[in-house]
Amino acid sequence: MSTTPLLSVTGLRKSFGDHEVLRDIDFTVDPGTVTVLLGPSGSGKTTVLRSLNTLEVPDAGTVRIDDVEVDFSQPRGRRDAEREFFRLRCQSAMVFQSHNLFPHRTVLENLTEGPVHAQGRPEEEVVAEARVLLERVGLANRADAFPGQLSGGQQQRVGIARALALQPRLMLFDEPTSSLDPELVGEVLGVMKDLAAEGWTMVVVSHEIRFAQQVADQVLFLDNGVIAERGPAAQVIGDPHEPRTRQFLHRILDPI
Amino acid sequence: MIANQISLNPEREAQYLFTEPYTYSNGVIVTAADTDDITSLEDLEGRTTAQSSTSNWAQVARDAGAEVRSVEGLAQAAELLAQGRVDAILNDNIAVLDYLAASGSTDVKIAGEVEGESTAQAFAFRQEDTALRDEADAALAAMADDGTLTEISESYFRADVSTEDGEGEADLSDRASDNTAWDVAQDAAGPMLRALVQYTITLSLLSMAIGLVLALLVALARLSSRPWLHWPAQGFISLIRGTPLLVQLFIVFFGLGQIGIKLDPYVAATLALSLNVGAYAAEIVRSAILSVPRGQTEAAATVGMGYALTMRRIVLPQAARTAVPPLSNTFISLVKDTSLASVILVPEMLRVAQDYAGASTEFLALYSLAALFYWIVCALLALGQGRLETRLERHMA
Ligand SMILES: Nc1ncnc2c1ncn2[C@@H]1O[C@H](COP(=O)(O)OP(=O)(O)O)[C@@H](O)[C@H]1O
Ligand SMILES: [Mg+2]
Repeated sequence: MSTTPLLSVTGLRKSFGDHEVLRDIDFTVDPGTVTVLLGPSGSGKTTVLRSLNTLEVPDAGTVRIDDVEVDFSQPRGRRDAEREFFRLRCQSAMVFQSHNLFPHRTVLENLTEGPVHAQGRPEEEVVAEARVLLERVGLANRADAFPGQLSGGQQQRVGIARALALQPRLMLFDEPTSSLDPELVGEVLGVMKDLAAEGWTMVVVSHEIRFAQQVADQVLFLDNGVIAERGPAAQVIGDPHEPRTRQFLHRILDPI
Repeated sequence: MIANQISLNPEREAQYLFTEPYTYSNGVIVTAADTDDITSLEDLEGRTTAQSSTSNWAQVARDAGAEVRSVEGLAQAAELLAQGRVDAILNDNIAVLDYLAASGSTDVKIAGEVEGESTAQAFAFRQEDTALRDEADAALAAMADDGTLTEISESYFRADVSTEDGEGEADLSDRASDNTAWDVAQDAAGPMLRALVQYTITLSLLSMAIGLVLALLVALARLSSRPWLHWPAQGFISLIRGTPLLVQLFIVFFGLGQIGIKLDPYVAATLALSLNVGAYAAEIVRSAILSVPRGQTEAAATVGMGYALTMRRIVLPQAARTAVPPLSNTFISLVKDTSLASVILVPEMLRVAQDYAGASTEFLALYSLAALFYWIVCALLALGQGRLETRLERHMA
């Protein structure tokens, strides 16, 4: 492939105290593709994702999204760091495992909060777009509801719409379905499949193997802070080379 | 400005300029009406007296072997006497006569004189106001000559206290007051309500508003990872919470006054009360902020919000819901704490009640009325708190 990757990560390291959580993570994501991060609990998937928007600040390495690059190895003042991190953060949007919707704002306000108040875009325009987005995730009729009045699946779809409203270059998903009741998982994955089909660039942490098989262009298998195996979904999931990948997949697909 | 009814003594005479004395008084021993075994200083040995702590009569009583209880004024002392909680009071006959005439009390009596403790009272001026003093002297001389002083004295004290050898014996034959507790309470209710609105309530609202702003700043400073913000905030909270409000009021009003920062009583009270609310509410605000899940701050960051915007639009609105009940308690405490401002000359409601109680000795009625007023205000606040909580809870799952 000759396209320039939208996201490049090189030499990413992160420790919490003595605990080395990420050691030398490298990968790239091409525009319009879906990357799924798999791996056992505690392997560092969330930390990788949160390093991309500096919710977690890596100890070393670089992250570049489009034309914004941050070198975390470089020493810098608090103020400079905050400015750089902010610029990088604005390139992506995140959907959280526990949705983290703003409970004191309506569904519509959850979508407009960032674009209007942080990005300073005109409210009318943003509201119109937000209504279109709510339509797209099937929640046009709940615009004036509060998050607490919605089901878990609806909340997570609002979470996705809120992220889309920011018009990011890159969408990050951290286990968006793992705190949902099983019958609500489908509606969320459905929306994500639609986004992939529309050409959104996505990095998804998920244990939904079928979703990965259908949608992922690239699968990264993370184990103990390193990418143990990587490749197209068909290869990593269908024919894993590494024993630990095989073991992990076996445990996920056949838990008993 | 002049100060009147100042007892002359050598120290004061060195410090201020005095007119010729216009009243003379001698010390008297006051006891309960039914006490008959205390008539002279010697009888005070081993007894208890109630004295204003700043008066030199306290020392006289101590020298006579009495135990001294400090009280706020003669009215409180007389009430203790009437209730049998102390045995006697020493004071100027003039003050006692004034009290007896004003209160109409028959529970206490002048039981004897204190030999050799006669004093003269005059107007006091600043050292440089010689001209003013001379004018006052001339006026006093004229009043003495035409008998006005004697007349005034008779009408207020029912005795002539305007000459050194005048008979300080009061003719109290018709003094019995027929004001009932109910009458006094009715008289006092209006002025007390006015003081409640003008001082108690405004002082509470103002101190709460300033205190809340302060509390927010202190809480944010305390939550900061920057040590130069964190530690001063911590120190402020510790200092204010670790010292009595009364002491803080004294420091702000009397203490600062001594080093040239002379604050108006109302300003001083507002300052001390605001600092107090600031410290207590800061801890409430801090824990309310900490109670907002971290995911909220993270979500705010991912939608592009900086610190200030995140606080203002995401964290504080949610923290408010947690903070309202404890902040309401702080506010209710504050309303009651304004009563302490009376000690630094703020004429708030309790002070007005005190004044009426002092003059009428209807302590129970007036203090109960004050309690009732405080209770009503605080009950209304609690009602408002309930409504606010319901409003804030509305959309929260
Ligand atoms: N803020 C933190 N402080 C300390 N340890 C952390 C923190 N966040 C994550 N960790 C640790 O880092 C490791 C990787 O965590 P995480 O990235 O959440 O893994 P995953 O998402 O793959 O389950 C875990 O051992 C976890 O306990
Ligand atoms: Mg995780």
